[in-house]
Amino acid sequence: MDPNTAGWALVVALFLPLVGGGALALMPAALDQQIRRAAVLITGVSFALVIAITATFDFGRSGELQFVTDVPWIAAIDARFFLAIDGISLPLFFLTYLLTLLCAIYSLKVLPPPGKPKAFLALMLMLQTGMAGTFVAFDLILFFIFWELVLVPMFFMIGIWGGPRRDYASVKFFLYTLFGSVFMLVAFLAIYFQSGAQTWSIPELSALAPFGSTTFQTWAFLGIFLGFAIKVPMWPFHTWLPDAHTEAPTVGSVLLAGVLLKMGTYGFIRIALPILPEGATRFAPIIGVLAVIGIIYGSLCCLAQTDIKRLIAFSSVGHMGFVMLGIAAMNATGIQAALFGNLAHGIITGMLFFLAGSLHERYHTRDIATIGGGMLKLLPRYGVLLTYVAVASLGLPGLAGFWGEFTAMWAAISPGVGLADSYQGLYLALVVVAALGTVLTAGYFLWLLQRVNLGDPPERWSSGHLDDVMTIEWVSWAPLLVLILALGVYPRLVFGVQDAAVTNLVGFLGG
Amino acid sequence: MGTVLEYAWLVPVLPLVSAALIAVFGKRLPWHGSEIGIAAVGLAMLLSIAIAWQTFVTSPVEPLELAYDWAPLGGGTVLELGMLVDGLTAMMFLLVTVVSLMVHIYSREYMHGEVRFTYFYAMLSFFTFSMLLLVIANNLVQAILGWELVGLSSYLLIGFYWEDKSNQDAGNKAFLTTKFGDVGLIVGAIVLAAGMLELGSTTPFNLLELNQAAADGQLGQGTIVLGILLIFLGCMSKSGQFPLHVWLPDAMAGPTPVSALIHAATMVTAGVFLLARLFPVLAQSQTAMAVVAIVGVITLFFGGLLALVQDDIKKVLAYSTVSQLGYMIAALGVGGYTASIFHLFTHGFFKALLFLGSGSLIHAVHSNNMSDMGGLRKAMPHTFWTFVIGSLALAGFPLTAGFFSKDEILIAGDIWAGAGFATGNLVYWVGLAAAFVTSFYMARAVFLIFFGETRSHHAPHESGRWMLAPLMVLAVLSIVSGYIFSPFWTAEQNFETWTATPIIDEEATFPFADHGAEAAGSAVQGEGVLAAAPTLAAEGGELTILHGAPTWHPDLLLIVLAVFGLAVVLAWRSYGHGLPERDPTLHMGGLSTALVNKYWLDDIGYRYIVVPVRDRWSAWATWTSNVLIDGAVGGVGRATKALAVATYDVDQRVIDGGVNGVAFSAAWWSERLRRLQSGDVQRYAGALVAGVVVLVLAVALAR
Repeated sequence: MDPNTAGWALVVALFLPLVGGGALALMPAALDQQIRRAAVLITGVSFALVIAITATFDFGRSGELQFVTDVPWIAAIDARFFLAIDGISLPLFFLTYLLTLLCAIYSLKVLPPPGKPKAFLALMLMLQTGMAGTFVAFDLILFFIFWELVLVPMFFMIGIWGGPRRDYASVKFFLYTLFGSVFMLVAFLAIYFQSGAQTWSIPELSALAPFGSTTFQTWAFLGIFLGFAIKVPMWPFHTWLPDAHTEAPTVGSVLLAGVLLKMGTYGFIRIALPILPEGATRFAPIIGVLAVIGIIYGSLCCLAQTDIKRLIAFSSVGHMGFVMLGIAAMNATGIQAALFGNLAHGIITGMLFFLAGSLHERYHTRDIATIGGGMLKLLPRYGVLLTYVAVASLGLPGLAGFWGEFTAMWAAISPGVGLADSYQGLYLALVVVAALGTVLTAGYFLWLLQRVNLGDPPERWSSGHLDDVMTIEWVSWAPLLVLILALGVYPRLVFGVQDAAVTNLVGFLGG
Repeated sequence: MGTVLEYAWLVPVLPLVSAALIAVFGKRLPWHGSEIGIAAVGLAMLLSIAIAWQTFVTSPVEPLELAYDWAPLGGGTVLELGMLVDGLTAMMFLLVTVVSLMVHIYSREYMHGEVRFTYFYAMLSFFTFSMLLLVIANNLVQAILGWELVGLSSYLLIGFYWEDKSNQDAGNKAFLTTKFGDVGLIVGAIVLAAGMLELGSTTPFNLLELNQAAADGQLGQGTIVLGILLIFLGCMSKSGQFPLHVWLPDAMAGPTPVSALIHAATMVTAGVFLLARLFPVLAQSQTAMAVVAIVGVITLFFGGLLALVQDDIKKVLAYSTVSQLGYMIAALGVGGYTASIFHLFTHGFFKALLFLGSGSLIHAVHSNNMSDMGGLRKAMPHTFWTFVIGSLALAGFPLTAGFFSKDEILIAGDIWAGAGFATGNLVYWVGLAAAFVTSFYMARAVFLIFFGETRSHHAPHESGRWMLAPLMVLAVLSIVSGYIFSPFWTAEQNFETWTATPIIDEEATFPFADHGAEAAGSAVQGEGVLAAAPTLAAEGGELTILHGAPTWHPDLLLIVLAVFGLAVVLAWRSYGHGLPERDPTLHMGGLSTALVNKYWLDDIGYRYIVVPVRDRWSAWATWTSNVLIDGAVGGVGRATKALAVATYDVDQRVIDGGVNGVAFSAAWWSERLRRLQSGDVQRYAGALVAGVVVLVLAVALAR
């Protein structure tokens, strides 16, 4: 495939899951196993196509758009059907397909009540197209459609296959994110009219920027900020997340943490920063402060959790705080850090949710005190995996979690676009407090490991038999476990791919 | 430059490979993986000896730096992965691999029959790799990498017996205390690198560049003071400096060989090593050096006092380690670069010896407590004489390795004092006082363990060959390792030329010392009482970092002997005939109370840090999240719903419209949403997919 002409490959990869989901819906519901296998096949073929796209991607020109499809779409409002991929999109796009495939494999065996694999998997495939679309859409309207497309299947996944409080959690998730995206849409409209260029094209608008008055930049950025900040989620817009994560089925949590949250940070980097550089510069210190509050606050909340899944959910608030700190630095290193942290969090926290889900399958509880320790004795393989992933999540160097955090702090010490002149002291303070957050992070993870893994197992578990890691789990987890190590020892895998694209993007920021 | 240095990367790689092989195949091998560990670390040691020899005989050597670009970091900066091989690296290589090999051999017998024997060996090798990775690093990020990995190995080995809660707590305490220090290390590294970035460096974390820029005076004072003091915070926690030493005694919960390797000889010296590595930067600031010296002095004195009241032999040694690390840090603060790392080197051997010796004792009597030992010199003659040699070296008895290295520190203090800095006097006199304390608690330990009648309920027996051989090797090293920097050795190639880098040898100075040095110059040079002859370079009157080859100091020798003799006599009177009914160290009034309670630091830490963070602040944060913030979100939701109901009300009564009028009101939507959830979802999902397909078709048609 030639990355200059093979735009079709991207289009096929993007819509294959959606079409496949439609096909699944046509299969008779009685064919339980066949439906599950079909889903693996669809996600597998899509992933193979994405591998082909990655293999033929011209890494020497990772700063430029490749596999472009740019055709008129809704002429009346100048909307175009504009899909492409560059060094910033590629890692996230890849992760989306990988995670969905792993979720499909996992669902071969594990599906929470009420079962119904057909509906569940069709929704998941629809979700996949929505998520992947946001990472490759280069037209604001198209982006918005993919963005909203994601809400619907996730709403049902939580609302039907979720835990006891699923009704509350799903409605809250849906309405809260919808609330944010309304402001985002208004901001998009404002951008369209202010630019005067009759276009929704992200690259064109980026090239035009900065346009409009300071007031416009501020208000438009605020609108976009609300939409993305809720999705990330940044403190204090995070309260939908613990509920959604806790109630969602395992696969839902994995995709929520692994991909959905990334749409927010990606949006900041792809849209908000380059199109509204002045607004972004004004907001950067605020973003930085909120990010660091999120790091400390999220970690503190983790210390107080008694539910293992809720703990992991709150840990996302802290980790995404590091990602946003990178963005607040407003320089190339910060963007690199944010994108790396994004990806690492997707892999690590996705894996943590897999583990939490499987523990729930075994123990039928998520309560840390009820599990009561001794897992290294009862389920030694789980114990080792939990230790490995928790240690990765607390940012141990040599594993994936470190690079996003360390590089974000390194970027924030010398922020770009003139922020260093006025806010040097503030940013130094942000770095110090963020670093203190790593101690709290280590604290709650070690405490979790102590309470779940170590010691002797309580009576109630030692009598019965609990299964250790199953084959299907090994298969669906192995790629993530490998990636955690690979990105840790060879960060160039991601930093290298993104470098040119990030340099381009930072060019739009000025300064 | 010889070729052997170019293979230095093999030294850390060998134990890494070993760790992986042990983890995968260990359990299936006849010796359960220990043979791989011993072979790999043995090979690494041979290579280290070759590297040490090469760098020693041609010292001082130009550092060999090989690096490749690990990853671009954005903005044109690059992160390197590389190696920096010079005398300092070679010295650390030698120390780490020798002690590690001894511990690997020793543990064959000591850990025999343990359930997690193979895991233990994998972790030992992994630790060795991590430590060597830190030592070989050519940049700060890689150093942080090794630094944190040794922390992880330490955590995993402290909690080796993780069935017991106290051991779990010890592991957590160690990891979190050092992690707190790492905040300083990481931010400090970032601050210094930001300074390098401003100078236009594309590899801002590079150590040689950083040292060069600092020595050339290109880095601002603010950057240097902030950066190096933050890094020093990391060194304080890793190297057990007061008050962040609290984790180290608890870390003795790990198996004794681990205490020997990690918590005495190597990992805890990482802070000293890193500060030595960055010495050209530290030397730029009088403030920073004063802080370092004072923290070191406090640690060496108050840490040593704590060893007086311990009954657990490992705790005695642990506090003694804290105290000796204090000497090393204090030495760096008074310009004793060589003295500090020389003490690091010799201390590594004799402290490993003492820990392994205590392991042998513990094996024999099944207790850590000296009150359960006594009279063991007959039953365990080899453990006895090796332990005595280790104790003599630790106490700084003349002609042992500890004598040469510790006195070098005192002399460095004296030279610093001569140059007009009060911290020099502090190190000299407090160092001497602490030497008395050291001699006393070691004499107490030796008498309690080996003299008097046995108090053990078991029949003590001497350990086997696997344990005794390392003890003997280390006993020899505890004496001979001191001679390479003594008046008996040549002035051309000695420990100082070996570990001096060209920057320290030729370029780095104490810029703030110009005036002080000139004023005090004649006094220092003329005195000629204590070691290190030429303290001031003839030209320019600048205080140089290297002090030159050591010479005899009869006065210090006399003082040291007197101090030692007094301590031993006093200890003999109390402990020479067995366990006294009234242990004098426990009856020193308020001092004993303070020491037994470890200065209340653990209580303060638990009550004012752990409890508030873990129980109160976290509960507060969760409450604000669940009640305040989420309450506001829920309030908006409820208000919207109320508004919708009201609208519907108005609509029904006032407007009296049909369904069309209501269609866009929120109430209609909420009604629909509610029905969605209870409806037939499969059909609905199908409809959604169909809708999207229609949309796509519409697009295609519209084109």
